[in-house]
Amino acid sequence: MEQTAPDDDRLVAESLQGSQIAFQLLVERYQDRIFRLIRGYVREPAEIEDLAQETFLKTYKRLESFQHQSSFYTWIYRIAINTVLDHIKRRGRSPVQAVEDLEVLPVNPGQRLPAPAANLEREEISAITQSVLEEIPEIFRTVLILREFEELAYQDIADMLGISIGTVESRLFRARARFKEKLLQKHPEFGAEL
Amino acid sequence: MECHDARSLIQSYLDGELSQAQAAPLRTHLLDCQPCRAGAQDEKNLKRWFAAPAATAVPEGFAARVARAAVQGESLPRRGTLTPLAGGAAAGATGAVAVERREASLLRFVLACTAAAALLLFTLALGIRTLSLPQTNQLAADDRAEVQLERTLEDLDQLNRTEAAAGAQKRP
Repeated sequence: MEQTAPDDDRLVAESLQGSQIAFQLLVERYQDRIFRLIRGYVREPAEIEDLAQETFLKTYKRLESFQHQSSFYTWIYRIAINTVLDHIKRRGRSPVQAVEDLEVLPVNPGQRLPAPAANLEREEISAITQSVLEEIPEIFRTVLILREFEELAYQDIADMLGISIGTVESRLFRARARFKEKLLQKHPEFGAEL
Repeated sequence: MECHDARSLIQSYLDGELSQAQAAPLRTHLLDCQPCRAGAQDEKNLKRWFAAPAATAVPEGFAARVARAAVQGESLPRRGTLTPLAGGAAAGATGAVAVERREASLLRFVLACTAAAALLLFTLALGIRTLSLPQTNQLAADDRAEVQLERTLEDLDQLNRTEAAAGAQKRP
């Protein structure tokens, strides 16, 4: 008979009773996703590992406060995001302490942004994306990472960040506008005249 | 559907957030409206710039190491990339779990000891009180103190006499 994997709630309950194996299973279940999420913010593998480690240790420490109102992965993502953003702020690499724009900035009105040229390798596009993301305020970067890299639904993003779906939508709209503006600023060669 | 409404839905449509009922009129509008279609194409182009970075491999044994550190409060070797504060916080996170658990069990132990000590003191006090009560219903004073006093007075008299005798012998 096929054995089903224990669900997150059960593993959380067993971890709270001191089961190391249960917590190890939780870490194994989420480690790839947490590493990938952190990779959206920082590049160095050693730095990613340290931050992932810190995320899981904080998760264990706070297990008792997990309310089961959201899914475990939403909760652990939130811990990971806060851990990474704290780290970036301490390092003084946070681009701008963003206030959400009341109005979307006009994005180089005379320029369009076509899709990446076919001769650009995926790694090249990714490096450009990363360098642009590093220069936009963290509230915008976070929604872009969660939506575009993690492909999360608006509802999940809203749960993770503790905001409404409407705010997710408007923040994403502004974030994309910022991204496009910054990309065209840094790489005017990718733009096309209207 | 008006262009204004269509434009506000394009992002959600491309993100797969619209229901069939919401998406159908938008699709119809996009087929008919070239400017909105161009706007949607721009959004699609932009989305193609979001290329996720290559995944970072999770080191062998990562989960086991982290779980052991978390549950048993062991310290983890760090790769040295975090700022001292972050390192401290992370190490603190490891240690803090163990420290909190140790503190909790220590507190339980101290409380148990205090309760036992209180019980022992109460029993002793009760025992002492019982022993100090008169064993009979006769009121009899303890004469040991008196004997002691008399003996001391006798010793003093003896000393005085000896001193006086010695003084008399010294005088010419």
